[in-house]
Amino acid sequence: MSHRSKLLSFLSALLLPLLSFAQERIILLNEGNWQSDNGKITYFEDGKIVSNQWFRDVNGSKLGDTPNDIIAVNDNLIAIAINWSNIVQFITPDGKAVAATEDVPNNRKLATDGDYVYISSYGHECRVGDKYEEFTKGFVAKIDATTFKVIAAVEVGYEPEGIAYYDGRLFVANTGGYAFQESHEYETTVSVIDAATMKVERTVDTGQINLYGKMSQSGKYLCINSPGNYYEVPAAAIILDCEAVIAGKPDKECFVSLPYAATYSCVTTDGRFYAIGSRYSYLTGDYTFNYISIDPEIAMLTEGLDGIYEDFPGTVLADIKKIGMPYGLYVNPYTGYIYATDAAGFVEGGTLYQWSPEGKLLGKHGVYINPAHFLALKPDNYTGGINDVIADPADSDSPLYNLQGIRISSPTPGQIYIRNGKKYIYKQQ
Amino acid sequence: MKTIPAGLLRISLCMLVMGIISCCSVFAMETADSVLHLDEILVSANSPRKLATVQELSGAELQSLSTTSIADALKYFAGVQIKDYGGLGGLKTVNVRSLGAQHVGVYIDGIRITNAQNGTVDLGKFSLPTLESVSLYNANKLDVCQSASEYASGATVYMRTRKPTGDSLSVTARLASFHTYMGRVNAQFCHNGWSGFIDGEYLNSKGDYPFRYKSQYEDTVGRRTNSDIEYGRVEAALFKNGFSSHAYYYQSERGCPGGIVRRLSDKYNNVGREWDRDLFVQASYQQSFAEKFQLKLNSKYAHEYLRYCTDYLENQNTARVDNHYRQHDAFMSVSAAYFPFDMLAVNLAYDARMSWLDADLKMFCPVRRVDQKAVAAVQFNYRSFRGAASILYQHFKDHTRLKVGAADPLSRFTPSVSLGYTFRNLTLKAWYKSIFRAPTLNDIYYTQAGNRNLKPEYTKQFDLGAEYSYSSPDWFASVQADVYVNHIDDRIVCLPVKGTYTWSMMNYGKTYCRGLNMTASGRYMSGPWNFSLLTSLTWQRDLNRTDPSNENSYNKPICYSPTLSFGITGIAAWRNYSLTVSELHVGERMWSYADPEDVLSPYNNVDLKLSANFSKVLASLEVNDLFDVQYEHIPRYPMPGRNFRFTLTYIFF
Repeated sequence: MSHRSKLLSFLSALLLPLLSFAQERIILLNEGNWQSDNGKITYFEDGKIVSNQWFRDVNGSKLGDTPNDIIAVNDNLIAIAINWSNIVQFITPDGKAVAATEDVPNNRKLATDGDYVYISSYGHECRVGDKYEEFTKGFVAKIDATTFKVIAAVEVGYEPEGIAYYDGRLFVANTGGYAFQESHEYETTVSVIDAATMKVERTVDTGQINLYGKMSQSGKYLCINSPGNYYEVPAAAIILDCEAVIAGKPDKECFVSLPYAATYSCVTTDGRFYAIGSRYSYLTGDYTFNYISIDPEIAMLTEGLDGIYEDFPGTVLADIKKIGMPYGLYVNPYTGYIYATDAAGFVEGGTLYQWSPEGKLLGKHGVYINPAHFLALKPDNYTGGINDVIADPADSDSPLYNLQGIRISSPTPGQIYIRNGKKYIYKQQ
Repeated sequence: MKTIPAGLLRISLCMLVMGIISCCSVFAMETADSVLHLDEILVSANSPRKLATVQELSGAELQSLSTTSIADALKYFAGVQIKDYGGLGGLKTVNVRSLGAQHVGVYIDGIRITNAQNGTVDLGKFSLPTLESVSLYNANKLDVCQSASEYASGATVYMRTRKPTGDSLSVTARLASFHTYMGRVNAQFCHNGWSGFIDGEYLNSKGDYPFRYKSQYEDTVGRRTNSDIEYGRVEAALFKNGFSSHAYYYQSERGCPGGIVRRLSDKYNNVGREWDRDLFVQASYQQSFAEKFQLKLNSKYAHEYLRYCTDYLENQNTARVDNHYRQHDAFMSVSAAYFPFDMLAVNLAYDARMSWLDADLKMFCPVRRVDQKAVAAVQFNYRSFRGAASILYQHFKDHTRLKVGAADPLSRFTPSVSLGYTFRNLTLKAWYKSIFRAPTLNDIYYTQAGNRNLKPEYTKQFDLGAEYSYSSPDWFASVQADVYVNHIDDRIVCLPVKGTYTWSMMNYGKTYCRGLNMTASGRYMSGPWNFSLLTSLTWQRDLNRTDPSNENSYNKPICYSPTLSFGITGIAAWRNYSLTVSELHVGERMWSYADPEDVLSPYNNVDLKLSANFSKVLASLEVNDLFDVQYEHIPRYPMPGRNFRFTLTYIFF
């Protein structure tokens, strides 16, 4: 075999996955068990599990302890918050580790505007540049997605959890979740931060305590879960209108509070929220389940009297009700395929359920322990657009990575590099 | 047993018969202690006491092992799994035949050490030098005059305090790896039938041992931090005839190290720190009347203080927990035995225990538990047949000002029955026991976890066993084998509440367990030489029978439970010197069902102990984990590798 044909076969091997035009590409974070260092990534493509330890397969190393959130920063970069490892891990869409930072300990949830990653933290110290900043309460850090360094951090409420980016602002749900152990009380507020200056602009009081767990975003609307305190105060779901907040409307006109748990929530392709969960009290030991879909616009207009339905497509609702321990819920924003996970008994691997957009159960797949957090990758040859994913517009300005995932500033002509998630041969420009 | 005087031989035989000591001691230096067992009330040689399934380490054998705590000694028994978070400060609990640590009752001189808060006893808190013997009974001991609580656990560990036989004063100093320093003073007396001792011990250890994780996905090298411990312990005991008493105080501060997880820097976060202050005083009195009656009174008061902090001083980024727990526990029992005929013994007993728990947790209210137990038991022997049966009644009632009230009272009857047949040196036995553990105060009332609707966790045990022993003037050998089946229902575990982000105690889980326990021991004596070989083997298959619809876990082995484990200990003694070599093998254990790679590797631990015993000076050198095997009981909690201990004791008189 000549060198040339060797090179050709090598290149075609590299390009084959791209030529197969994968449509459904889902990354699923399995949290693993706390302090067992067994967080793992499942990579799922077109109805098949490619790997239940994708990060290990690609990088030959472990992901860390309790991965807690994952987002696509832009077409080339994905950020993962690994809570108990105190690590924010950056990977390319094909799973290669690019960079990692330990500057944001006890990190929780992620948001992005495409250039910066914003991350909430329960911790009290953050390395900003070369020095440590200390906070009495929790904070939000801003990481430059090109240098992977924290460039600013701002104090918010105690134990800030969910975070969303909308129109130049960050909306941060404060839990005060350590209230049952520490001396402070639960928080009831959403902190609104100017993302450019990293200053708190406004604090919206929702009247509901402990704004904990997954926060979903549908355009200008957020769905925020309040589990209550699990004693006298029951769970609630809050729909917040970010534009009303920015417009400076009074707190009460910015949100509506619904008597449901939104423990697991997600956004549908038509802009609704799915919210499932249970309202539980230690006092009685009773819990009541709800499986709802929320039209945020109608819910806001009618102050929660309308806009709440139990209409999931096809068999989705019936199937979810049978799940022993629901642990995650997701709709692929590109394709509308629906996903849920079952954590079962927490020592065995969980199960990933997949439904078609019409709600036909397509399959159940064995995954790892505590499968919780989803990210859909853009389908190959995808041309549509999505509201809340901001693609990097200037293709030739996008950062360039080598096949090891290391960012390259001066590429060598003729070598293969990755830009915007695609492999290509660099030519002299 | 050529070298043992006839009188002593008789005593040893009595002890054998009593089942207190399964193998008689062959070390001359132990004779003085053994004599004291004559004070015990002995019944005829065909007493049904030998019915119980027991393993024991006593006297010189116990002291010959390379051990720092009771947990170290128990790991040599068949059917025992030790759970250890590593290091000197780590919590050490035992699990017997997969029943779970909370089904193991731990007794010191016949009175149970309890912890109403969490139901487990940290065996790391008890050290060996003051003990005469450590025994493990599956189900329970079968004595003729027992308290009701002695029938109330699935397995029982007895620690028996050594009664002094003369006046002495000694000091001990120890130097060990990982910056460990220990000092001990022991004073004892024996006058006019009274005897007693005071024993004080202080230990300080940094516990900064190195560890390494090397696999396909990592090569993590580090040194354990926050594994330090400092403790002081003072014990005193007083005995006369049927009266015995014991006072104990323990105070410690220790680090609670976390799991070794991926970190970019080599900084492995600490989880917390713990301060303990434990105090108990106990007394018991035993008297026989007219050879037909026996009466035993036990009483105890215990106080436990625990402060737990997350380590936020060094780690600013975790929850700032600083909680204080206080427990008081008062216990009284009265047991009576009646022997209407030679072949029958009837045991009736009533126990009452009152426990108070207070904690500065939010949403917590002090709780008081009244725990009453009554037992009726019979034991009989007829020719070569023996039998025992008991019915135990337990009643638990909690009191609290909590708004929703306390959990409903719990009362249950549980039976047990044992049968035995002896032919010459061979004894066959079969027993059945049903027992439960009540939900602990933590299980029911702990903030954001407690569940007032918990049911008790039941165990049912079936056992078939055989024992054979052989003795000649030079030789002694015994073999014991048991096959068993256990069922555990309604396991009490902490699980997330469906559809929420919070956790709660729940009854979830059934276990079905089959196993084989074997022990074999032999001794040979010749002139100045003494050789002992002690072996134990556990083969166990315990299966998760929780959820038949879950094919990922149903009928799979229980996590952390090895199929095979065994221990071999050889002791060679010559005049004043002795060498002990122990090898412990623990087979592969899975720790999750999710991935075939989620297993803890099998390991072999070889320990050595060399001691020299002169009239005024005792010296010993120990090497633990001789081959520096890196192993874990809990994933990501590395155990210390090879370590050394040098101990010197000086006896003033």
